Amino acid sequence: MGRAYKLKGQKRKKREDKYDKGEELEELNEKKAKTEVLVADKEEEKLEPVIDEMPGIPMVEVTTNDNKPGVTFVIEKASLEIGKVGKSYQLLSSDEHASYLLKNKRNPADYRPDIAFQAIQTILDSRVNKSGRLKALYVRTQLGILFEIKPHARMPRTYKRFAGLMVQLLQKLHITASGKGEKLLRVIKNPVTKYLPINSRKIGFSHSSEKLVDMYDYVGTINSELDLVFVVGAMSHGKIEKEYVEDYISISEFPMSAAYCISIITTAVERKWRIL
Amino acid sequence: MAKTSSKDSSKKKKKNNTKNKLNVPNSVAMKNKVPKENLFESIWSRRKFDILGKKRKDEERRRVGLSRSLAIQKRQKTLLKEYEGSTKSSVFVDKRIGEQNDGLEEFDKAILRSQRERQLKLKKKSKYNLSDGEDDDFDNEDGYFAGRDDFDDEGPLDEDELDASDKNSTFGQLDPREVEDGLRSLEGQENRHKSKKEVMEDIIFKSKFFKAEKAKEKEENEKFMEQLDKDFASIDWSEALLSLTQPNKVNKSTSSDNAKKDEIYTVQNKISSQQEEPDDYDKLVGQMALDMRARPSDRTKTPEELAQEEKERLEKLEEERHKRMIAADDSSNEDDDISEDDDKSGKRPTHISGDDLGDSFSNDVISKTKMDLIGKILAQENANDSEDSASSEESENEDEDDDNEDDDEEGSGEDRSGDEKTRSSLKDWEQSDDDDIDTEFEDEEDDASGDADDEGIKDDCLDKQNSRDRKKDSSGADKVKTTLEENSHKKGELPYIIEAPKTFEELSDLLENRSDDQIVEAIRRIRTFNAISIAAENRKKIQVFYGLLLQYFAVSANKRPLNLKLLNLLVKPLMEMSTEIPYFAAICARQRLLRTRTQFSEAIRDTGKSCWPSMKTLLLLRLWSMIFPCSDFRHAVMTPAMLLMSEYLMRCPITSGRDIAIGSFLCSMVLSISRQSQKFCPEVITFIQTMLMAALKNRQGNEDSQLCHLMEVKSLKPLLRMQGHIEKINPLDFMLLMDLPDDSPYFSSDNFRASLLFTIIETLKGFANIYEGFKSFPEIFMPIRKLLLELAEDDLVPDALKVEIEDVTKHIENKSQENHLLRQPLRMRKPKIIRTAIPKFEESFVKGRDYDPDRERAERKKLKNRLKQEAKGAVRELRKDNYFLSEVKQRDKARMVEEKNEIYGKYRAFLQEQEHAFKSGQLGKGKGKKRRR
Repeated sequence: MGRAYKLKGQKRKKREDKYDKGEELEELNEKKAKTEVLVADKEEEKLEPVIDEMPGIPMVEVTTNDNKPGVTFVIEKASLEIGKVGKSYQLLSSDEHASYLLKNKRNPADYRPDIAFQAIQTILDSRVNKSGRLKALYVRTQLGILFEIKPHARMPRTYKRFAGLMVQLLQKLHITASGKGEKLLRVIKNPVTKYLPINSRKIGFSHSSEKLVDMYDYVGTINSELDLVFVVGAMSHGKIEKEYVEDYISISEFPMSAAYCISIITTAVERKWRIL
Repeated sequence: MAKTSSKDSSKKKKKNNTKNKLNVPNSVAMKNKVPKENLFESIWSRRKFDILGKKRKDEERRRVGLSRSLAIQKRQKTLLKEYEGSTKSSVFVDKRIGEQNDGLEEFDKAILRSQRERQLKLKKKSKYNLSDGEDDDFDNEDGYFAGRDDFDDEGPLDEDELDASDKNSTFGQLDPREVEDGLRSLEGQENRHKSKKEVMEDIIFKSKFFKAEKAKEKEENEKFMEQLDKDFASIDWSEALLSLTQPNKVNKSTSSDNAKKDEIYTVQNKISSQQEEPDDYDKLVGQMALDMRARPSDRTKTPEELAQEEKERLEKLEEERHKRMIAADDSSNEDDDISEDDDKSGKRPTHISGDDLGDSFSNDVISKTKMDLIGKILAQENANDSEDSASSEESENEDEDDDNEDDDEEGSGEDRSGDEKTRSSLKDWEQSDDDDIDTEFEDEEDDASGDADDEGIKDDCLDKQNSRDRKKDSSGADKVKTTLEENSHKKGELPYIIEAPKTFEELSDLLENRSDDQIVEAIRRIRTFNAISIAAENRKKIQVFYGLLLQYFAVSANKRPLNLKLLNLLVKPLMEMSTEIPYFAAICARQRLLRTRTQFSEAIRDTGKSCWPSMKTLLLLRLWSMIFPCSDFRHAVMTPAMLLMSEYLMRCPITSGRDIAIGSFLCSMVLSISRQSQKFCPEVITFIQTMLMAALKNRQGNEDSQLCHLMEVKSLKPLLRMQGHIEKINPLDFMLLMDLPDDSPYFSSDNFRASLLFTIIETLKGFANIYEGFKSFPEIFMPIRKLLLELAEDDLVPDALKVEIEDVTKHIENKSQENHLLRQPLRMRKPKIIRTAIPKFEESFVKGRDYDPDRERAERKKLKNRLKQEAKGAVRELRKDNYFLSEVKQRDKARMVEEKNEIYGKYRAFLQEQEHAFKSGQLGKGKGKKRRR
């Protein structure tokens, strides 16, 4: 009787271990972002003497992006919604499904997935991303679905394929990389604040804001060790909510498209960090 | 939970009121009210990721509360019953008609039952059954005459039931549902009966009608066929069919056609009478037969044909010329019989009037040329070949002799080439001859190495040998011919047909004393007459001719009064021909280059002598740079040519002003060559640099420049330093310079120096332009810039030159600055682009579909998933069942405990009362009171 009990106990223990490991991995990933900032200072100190040790040969610093502060983009109010049109599921857009939307008593003007498409493309094409300084990209749809796009995902270049991808993402809730099992896009739980780096400056953009600044100057004033989080709206009308945004600024006297706004932001950041 | 369950059951009340009384204790209070809606049931589960336009399949499931209550209801019906029945040994099964059907009301049930009863009575089986009243009663009892209670029969009920189940099979006692169905169907049939009959009749009528129609049609068809057969038989015998099948025969017998036409017409009429009228199609066919056929247009001529035509035209012209010649001599003699006599007689007078040599051979030669004219070149060559084979030894010897001579002359004479230009023509002649032999060697080598066109080259060699042999062999004959031609030259007229010359002598004879235009024309005629596209063997002729022409070019380049115009004119045919025979042209050029190189290396061994290239070499190099592509990375001719030029620039000692002139000419040539290919030629740059240094006053400052460390410092006299002021910079005439003697005072004049400096700086500008894309541009040109700056400071340098110098320096500065800007810092590794990954998605994604390309695997996965799901479901259901049962048990227990407590309390109270009474002494008083209550 006692022996049986013992056996049972062992088995259970083993199982628990495994379970814990799986959990740990996930936890690690989540914690990584948090700890990075803390570790960054120490590692930089370590690196510097190594560079000094080699005399005579002029060298450019070995760039390891892991320690440097990064950028995180949050695209708010992206109108990415799928609907069942006929028999197939499609990404609803104003020019394709105007009559369908009217039939369902929606305002076709609100359905502008192309804005989000452009914005995502601009972010992923930027030099900030190419150099590996883009830490994460989150998109929150008008319905409140939040999903994450990995910076190294090569998003489709054409709108049609993008629409197909979104349709699959919003149904399946994740998209894997072809070949590997890595999830490049996945729907995650709200709110977005729990994924943002801790030691970060969260900046929201709106034309309606009173604070009109020159983007490059503004970025220059921010402490260069801080991570930057930019919150940009990808909707045709309205503005983003400023709940978690620390600074709410306007960067132009004119209302601008999301993509162009993002390009201004990225160029400013690139200039600040000297990414060419 | 108990609370909710009670509420759930309250919901149930709606549907079956009977149970309410049993289950719910407080139902009495709620009975009259409308059953209250359970708030939990009205709650919908939140829709995650709602999709517009998507229909929910089972909406009920979405309401968690409702589905829970439904599940509990179901359990109460099934599981609870089972649980309650589990302790009992028997079960009551209600099999009354209509009892299973919830939708029926009591009255309907009664009707059904009575109907059933009557049916049973009508059946045959029950015919003989004596109807005892009991039976009737029983039936009635089942129905709504439920007056009698069957309490008495309680005992044997089980048996009855068993019997009843048996009866189901034996008496045909039907399932209540079946009965209902049967009744309905009967009613339906009665309604339809008449109409069906009608329909059937209709159908029968229709089918009959169709059959009749079909038969009619068939009959008609047969009749028609018979008629056709008859008609055909009538045609068959007539000629008409024959004419159709074999038209030729009919055409021959057109005469009889008319006669038979009538017949045909009659037949046709017959046919047409049947076919009503001739078809449009038939009309069209008739029209088309009358139409004209399209004729093919003249095809475009191929280049070969064009060449042939051209040749024929020339032949014609030549013939006419000959005629005219004859006419001049013996004009009135025989105009009519030209055809045969013309050949012989036409030439004869020219002989007589001609030179001293070879009278006897003349006939043969002329006949040969005539044969050529006719186009039997091959035959002639064969003849020559046979001759050659006979006298090959001799020719070999002669060749060797030639070689020896050449060698001698080369050994001694080449060095003097610079000085003794008078002899050069002869020398070159020899040299070229030697060249030819060299090419032969080359060819043979090529053969050995097994190159692509083996046979062609072999033929080539043979042919060339043959030609030479022929020359040596039948030199007399040739000479005669040439003399003949000379005669005609003297008349100042070119023959229209010119056989390709086989030796240099022939060519030089042909072209001697002719105007430039005539030479070009002669070359043109030779080329058209011997065009490669006409005959295969012409290729060899042209090759020989090309060699000779090149030689002629070289020779005329070395002639003292340089005929630049002629040279320019010669370039064009040479270029065209080398496109026709590129392989041979390349071989010629290579051989010549090789020879010049060996001569040069020999010459340079004797220090102190000027070994700069002669005019001939320079012009040939220029010619090749025009003929062959300069931009090739590696070219059989241009690469060695470039190397040779660079070598000249590097190794030749600069002693005189003319050396500088030649050097700068070479520089400009290199510039023109490397303009396209943008190859870097360091020799040129160094040469220019040294020249600039030669122009400076004090060279000491520059001695220690970077460049001087790397290469041998040439001790340079200040050859180019300006001595005095000059007003104007004149362009230099290179040809003139070449003619001047070494120690001419012109070379030390300021004029010469200024203009030379000007050209050098121009060349430098060109190089700076070409090399501006180079990464090493600053390193190449910055030292030169320093020199230029120093030069510009010199007062003696004329202003025009200064402007030019400033221009170049500015250009160099700008470019090097740009280059400096473009330079990137050295780094350990380039910044990496992040590796991207492509997301995988379907074109039209539908949730739940497996997009695995492997069907089997997808299927297996699906099954596995389903199994898992089902197992999960089962577990869930079982758990819920257990929970439900435990709840029921708990409730029972609770009730038991309550009852027990009640009884306990009762007794306890009684006992307490007793005790109290006992103690208080009021025995019986209180007790009695209580009991009474």
